[in-house]
Order: sequence, then C-alpha cells, then structure tokens
Amino acid sequence: MWKFIVRRMLTTFPQLILLSVIIFLMAQAMPGDALTGLVDPNVDRAAIEEQREKLGLNDPWHIKYADWVSGLLQGDLGQSFRYKMDVTDLIEQRLINTFWLAVATLLFTYIIALPLGILSGRYNDTLLDSSITGYTYIGFATPLFIFALVMLWVFGYQLQWFPTGGSVAPGLEAGSMDYILSKVNHLLLPALSMALIQTVSTVQYLRSEIVDTKQKEFVVTARAKGASETRVYNRHIFRNSLLPIAAYFSYEITLLITGTIFVERIFSYPGMGQLFLDSIVQRDFSVVTAVVLLFGLAAILGALVSDIILSIIDPRIRIK
Amino acid sequence: MVILEVNNLKVYFPIKAGIFNRTVNHIKAVDDVSFSIEQGKTYGLVGESGSGKTTTGRAVMGLENITAGTIIFDGKDITKKQSKTKDVRRNIQMIFQDPYSSLNPRKRVKDIIAEPLRNFENLSKQEEKKRVQELLELVGLSPESILKYPHEFSGGQRQRIGIARAIALKPKLIIADEPVSALDVSVQAQVLNFMRDIQKELGLTYIFISHDLGIVKHMCDDIAIMYKGRYVEQGTKEEIFNYPQHIYTKRLVSAIPDTEPGNREKRFKFRQDIQKEFEESYDDYFDSDGLAYSLKPVSDTHLVALPEKG
Amino acid sequence: MEINQMNMDKQSQNLTKSPSSFRILWRELVRDKLALISLLFLIIIGIFVYGSSLILDQSEIVKVDLFAINEPPSEEFILGTDYGGRDVFGQLIIGTRNSISIGLIVTLLSGMIGVTFGLTAGYFGGHVDNVLMRILDFFQVLPFTMLVIVFVAIVPNYSILAFSLIFTAFSWMSIARVIRSKALQEKELDYVQASRTLGTSHPKIIFREMMPNVSSLIIVTMTLNLASNIGLESGLSFLGFGFPESTPSLGTLLSYATNPQTLEHRWWIWVPAAVMILVLMLAVRNVGEALRRATDARQRRG
Repeated sequence: MWKFIVRRMLTTFPQLILLSVIIFLMAQAMPGDALTGLVDPNVDRAAIEEQREKLGLNDPWHIKYADWVSGLLQGDLGQSFRYKMDVTDLIEQRLINTFWLAVATLLFTYIIALPLGILSGRYNDTLLDSSITGYTYIGFATPLFIFALVMLWVFGYQLQWFPTGGSVAPGLEAGSMDYILSKVNHLLLPALSMALIQTVSTVQYLRSEIVDTKQKEFVVTARAKGASETRVYNRHIFRNSLLPIAAYFSYEITLLITGTIFVERIFSYPGMGQLFLDSIVQRDFSVVTAVVLLFGLAAILGALVSDIILSIIDPRIRIK
Repeated sequence: MVILEVNNLKVYFPIKAGIFNRTVNHIKAVDDVSFSIEQGKTYGLVGESGSGKTTTGRAVMGLENITAGTIIFDGKDITKKQSKTKDVRRNIQMIFQDPYSSLNPRKRVKDIIAEPLRNFENLSKQEEKKRVQELLELVGLSPESILKYPHEFSGGQRQRIGIARAIALKPKLIIADEPVSALDVSVQAQVLNFMRDIQKELGLTYIFISHDLGIVKHMCDDIAIMYKGRYVEQGTKEEIFNYPQHIYTKRLVSAIPDTEPGNREKRFKFRQDIQKEFEESYDDYFDSDGLAYSLKPVSDTHLVALPEKG
Repeated sequence: MEINQMNMDKQSQNLTKSPSSFRILWRELVRDKLALISLLFLIIIGIFVYGSSLILDQSEIVKVDLFAINEPPSEEFILGTDYGGRDVFGQLIIGTRNSISIGLIVTLLSGMIGVTFGLTAGYFGGHVDNVLMRILDFFQVLPFTMLVIVFVAIVPNYSILAFSLIFTAFSWMSIARVIRSKALQEKELDYVQASRTLGTSHPKIIFREMMPNVSSLIIVTMTLNLASNIGLESGLSFLGFGFPESTPSLGTLLSYATNPQTLEHRWWIWVPAAVMILVLMLAVRNVGEALRRATDARQRRG
C-alpha cells in the first residue's frame, strides 16, 4: 500500500509541473502585463521600457517562468491591476466563501446520496427504486445552470424562502450569531442546487454497487447462516458498497469546480467562481491566472487523495 | 537443406515490482532452445500448456521480443525485429489456434484472404479476385463464398480460410499453432490431411505446435518435447515414439490411447510401470528446480536432457 | 475432396445468418418505445429547425428594435421579445440549430481524436499506453470549464471555429478512455496478431481491423457525448463564453435570465430555451442509452 501511495505521489509532481507550465504559458498569452495597468499613460515610452527591463519583463521565457514559480512558492500571486492590491489578499475572502459553499454542497451530496442509493439498491425493481432511478436519469440530463436558475426562480423569487443573492445580509456585525445564520441561509439554496444535480452519479453508483454485492457469495452465506436481513445489510452489504464511493471523490471535486462557476454567477455569490468570471471580463489576468492555478491544484490534489483512499480500501488497485 | 535454424533462443518475460517498476525477476518462457528444420519437413513442438512451445513459435514469427539467441531463416539472421524485411515476412506465415478469433468478424472472406496479397503484391481488382477464388478452391471451399462473412462458416471451414490466408503468399515456412485443437475431432482429420496435401503441393515446411501426441505422430517428421521452457528430448518420429529416453517423454508416449481393445490390460500395466518409474527416478531426470538438464546426444539425431554422468 | 466440399456448402447454408451489429443496434432502438419516440422527436426538431432557418433571416432576428422591448407573447411575436426587442421564437429556432450544430461538430472532432488516442494506447499497450494514459489523466483532471473560458477570452480573432477547437481540445478524454479499455481486450484477439504476421502496417491494423470491431461502442459513446456537449455548450454560452450574441445559441437566451427582472417577470425569454435544452438532452440520452443496452447482450430487451 505504501508503495502505491508513494508511486502515486510521484506521478503528481509531473502533473503539478505541467499545470504550472500551461498556466504560465496561458498567462504569457494574455494581453498586457504587470505594467499595463500600473503605468501612467503620460510617462514616456523610454521610461516604460526601462521599467520593463528592470522588472525582468524582457527576459527569455524560462527565466520568467523560474521567477514566476519562485514567486508562487512564496505565496506571491502578483498584483490585481483592477483592485490595485495583492491577488493573495483579494482571493482570501472569496476563497473562504467558496470553501464553505463546497463543504455544504459535499455534505448535501452525501446526505442525499446515501439513503437514496441504499433504498434504491436494497429494494431494487420496486416502485421506490424506479422513482429514484428516474430522478437520477433526469438529473444526469439536466445541466446544473438550468436547474439552479429554476431553483432560484421558484424558491428565491416566487416563494421567497431564500435570499436571491450575496453571501450575507448587509449591516450585520461579523462574528455575531445573526451574521453566521445569515451566511448559512445564503449558502443553502446554491449548495442544494449543486448537490441535487451532483449527487445523481453517486446515487447510481451506490445502487449498482449494492445490487452487485447482494448477489455475492459472502452475502448468500451470511443469509444461509441465518443472519437477519437488517444485519446482512448493515454488516455486509452496506460496508462493502460504501467504500468504493471514495473513488468518486475526485470526480466530485471536478464537478464542484465547474459547479461553483455557474452557481456563484446565478446566485451572485461572492466566491472564487464569480471572481474568475469578473476578472476575465475586466481583463484582470493576474487574478485569472491565480484562480485557475488554485482550482487546478485543487483538482490534482483531489484526484491524489481519492486514489490514496481507494488504495487503502481496495487492495486490487494497488497491483498496477 | 536447412531452412530454419534456431540457436540458444531465450524469451524471458520480466516481472516488475517496486516503486519504480524495476524488473525484479524473469519468467523464463523459453530457456535456451536450439533446433533446425529441413525444407519440406514438419517439425513438431510438443508440450503441456505453459511449456513455452507457443512462445517459441511466436518468437520465430516475430511476435515476441527475443531476450537472447539467434534465428537464421534461409541463410539470413532474422533475430532482430528490424531485420524482418518484407521478403522475410512473406515467407513465414502462421496458422492460429482459434478459428473464431483469428478471422476479423467485420471483414468478408474476400478481404480476409486478400489482406496479405494487398500488403505484398500489387494486383488489380480482377487479378486479386481470381487469386482469392483459386485459394478458396485450393482449401476446398466454394469460390462463390468470397462475399460471405466468417460467422457464416463452421469451425473447420474457418480454419481452412485461415490456411488459405497463410498460404496466399506461397510462404516457405508455416508455423501452425495448435491448428486443430479448437475443432471437433471429426473435422480435425480433414484439416490435418488437407494440410499435408498442400504441403506436398507447395513444398511447405511446417512448425507444428501441439499438445496432442497422436496428431503429432500423424503429422511430423521430427519432434521436440518441451517442458517448462526447455527441451526434454528431440529426435525423429521413430526415435521419440519407439525409443523414448527421458522419463517425461515416456510418460507422454504411454498416455497415448490405444484403439485395440485386446491390448487394454497390457497398456494399463505399462502405464503403471511408467508411473512407478517416474515417481522413483524423478530426481535423476530433473534438477533441483524441477527443470530439465541440458541436452546430450544419444545418436546423430536423437538428443535427450540427462544429467552429466555420475 | 469433391464430396467433402458439397457437404460443407450444405453446412454453411444451414447456419443461420447472425445479425450484424448495426442491425442489433437498430432493432433495440425500435423495440424501446421511449428511445424511438425520442429519435422521431429529434428528427422532427432537426427538420423543422434546419428547414425553417433556411427561410428565417438571422440578421433580421438579431436586429435590435427599441420599440418592441421585452414584449410578452402576442400574435406578432409568438414568444415575445427580449431586451433588445428581438423575436424570441426566431432566436429559439436559430439557437436550437446552432446548439445542435456545434454539439455535432464538437462530438465528431473530439470523437476522432479520442478514438485515435484510445485505439493507439490500447493497441500498442506497454510503455506507449502508459505514457498516453498519464497524458490523459492529466487532461481529465484539469478544470474543463475554466480553461475553455480562459482560452475563449484570450484567443485573438475569436470565431465559432475557434470555439469548437477549444471545446474539442478539452473534451476528447472520456471517449478515449472508453475506447482504450475496449482496444486492450480487442488486440489480444488472434485476428489482430494475424494481421501483424501478414505484414499489415500498424495504422492499417488500428483503423481497418480494430476500429470496425469497436464501431458500435464508438457510436454509443458519441451519442451520449452529444447530449453532454449540447449541455456544456449552452452552459458556456450562458456564461457569455460560447457563441457571440450575434449568433444566438440556446445558452444565449438563458443568459438573459441572469438579469433578475428577466428571471422573475419575463419567463417567455428563458423558459422555452431551458425546456428545449432539457428535452434535447433527454432525447439524445434516451437514444444513447437504448444503443448502449443493445451493445450489452445481457441488458437487451428483445
């Protein structure tokens, strides 16, 4: 197992390097550089050129890349020319918002997936199962952004159960109980929208896993030994079926990244996705680069964690 | 004239392990095998499954990576993959064991048999069709069936299509890897006799790989017995069947069923004796790893794997 | 020999012809009522949308008319007008056409790349497979939507072609993975080995020998991909990084709903497009699922 984990971590390094190169090249391809926003248009060209030379903007690409990476490692993500502040500071608050959105979504995803998957698998080919399968089938074919729009329309505007935008009601003191409640309240609808769509693959996976396990020898043996149906499910089937869900963790992370972009836009939730879209429109490319880098990092590490969990659980994949 | 000469052929498959996937050990599928074949003869390779007989055939064919040794075909060294020029390729062909998977189910008979022709000869559509029909006729199938698909034929017929494909380029050497073991017994004889007919007609040389000694006796001039990647015994058909020297060969030969009912008691007694000898003298014939020793000549043509005297 | 031959000919006549795999696909599709209805629906939508867009004048539809802003459905405008006074029904038709077209183009392009990649990895196996799969892993872990958006934003001379290429560059992985695992099984079959011994070149073996044998899997995967590509494209257009506004797609219509006023009060602008996307994706998926069942003998219904 350790061998697998070490080997898997080793393959992560080239991935990280490749990611950084791609994002660096992307950043190079973006129009403008650090000076475009900072420099006063009245300053003459020669002075700008001198400034560029001093900042190393005319260096060959590999030196620029090395500078960029060493900056990254020290937590320097550059300057936002629009907000005139360090990208690191700019991102901090947004990152926290998105983090809680992601946590809430994951929580809902599993809260929905577990009972539905288990019921569907245990009572397969009943009416209950058909309705759950029907939900997953339609959920698969529904794009998140349409579903989120409908949720906002129904629960936000028509029924007015939830706030329709922002991450917190204005005028509340940070840290107070009301503040936290308001934050949670703002989180619920976007997180639920994402979770309801995102959960269907997990439900489906869990269902087929349980249906498969039901027919395995050891379950038949347990039944033959006279174990009660509940005991068979709790001790044998459920445990064996739950574990492979870890395999889906990295997939969930990828879905989350895409999801936050749509959901934050629709619910005007001030997180990373919203920041990303705004910065693209405003051509604030140092921010764009930073956000893509962070999300790429999250995806790669998510895949790593998922594979490691899987290798702990399932000895078969360690062989290769 | 010697058409194929194999010297000290070794085919090892690496066993990989560890963090960096280093090779930690080898499976010695073929371990130091040498033989030579005269033109026009049939050379039988016999052994149980996993004995390396198929790997040997595939190595000669160029389908396996060769670890060590040389293969000389028609005077040319063809050990390296790059040295298998077009000329060499067309002169060595193969007949596969499974007539079901060896024909592409999506291609018509015409396209299956014409595949080698298209690769090596520039024929017009008309000429190609004529050649395919001739080949079909040669293997005893109706020339009208060129537009059919493989699934429209029986196993024996499919194997004939496979043979037609293999002889399309008039090769010198054909490697037949258990060509009849997937067929019904009633069809086996048909295909085997047919293989002998075209051998005479086209002057083919066969490497005949089989686990069935009865068939090998019927088909082959020279026979080699393989066990765990090594040769156990090699000789002419008479030598192997009438004067087997190695205990492993003796056991194999004794296991051939006899069709004469009157001999039943005698055969049974014989088999029991051999089994007893095998149990008593196992250590004399195999080394401490259970592998055969290197070959020692008994006569000009007869070689047996026996330990050094003493 | 003569008698033999006659016997064999008789034998081959007795063998019933087993149906070709395309026929199996078709038969399964017809047996599955839902899939059949979906297919008919898609055909009708296709004919209607492509047919009527020949008559409709796109520049007329996307022309801003300030005297008819945000009008609810009426006799003149079946589905009302948007904030620029443009006919929503006309935009819906053109949008549907554009969404289907781009979905098809991207699916075909990414299918071509994915199939080539997967077959190559599977056929050669070993080190080649290893390297190719590491590349694929990397691409698959990348945040697809973000990268497409960034590239759309920075590419000079942005056009529909550029959009399809960017989209394709990040969407060939799933089909490559599916085809590769099938190719790994396929290459072990003797007919592939036989082709090698017959002197057939690697590219020929890959495309002429192996590809026809995985064709039904290719069709199934591409159909399912078509559904998700239509969804992805409309999502990107929704965010404003797909089609330019002068070429509306279904996502463009939905993007008007990011305006709370439109979302709350002018349902006629965005609901029809939302329904159209949903129905299109479901219909394509139904067809795809029926085809998938057909390739898996255990799940066949007939």
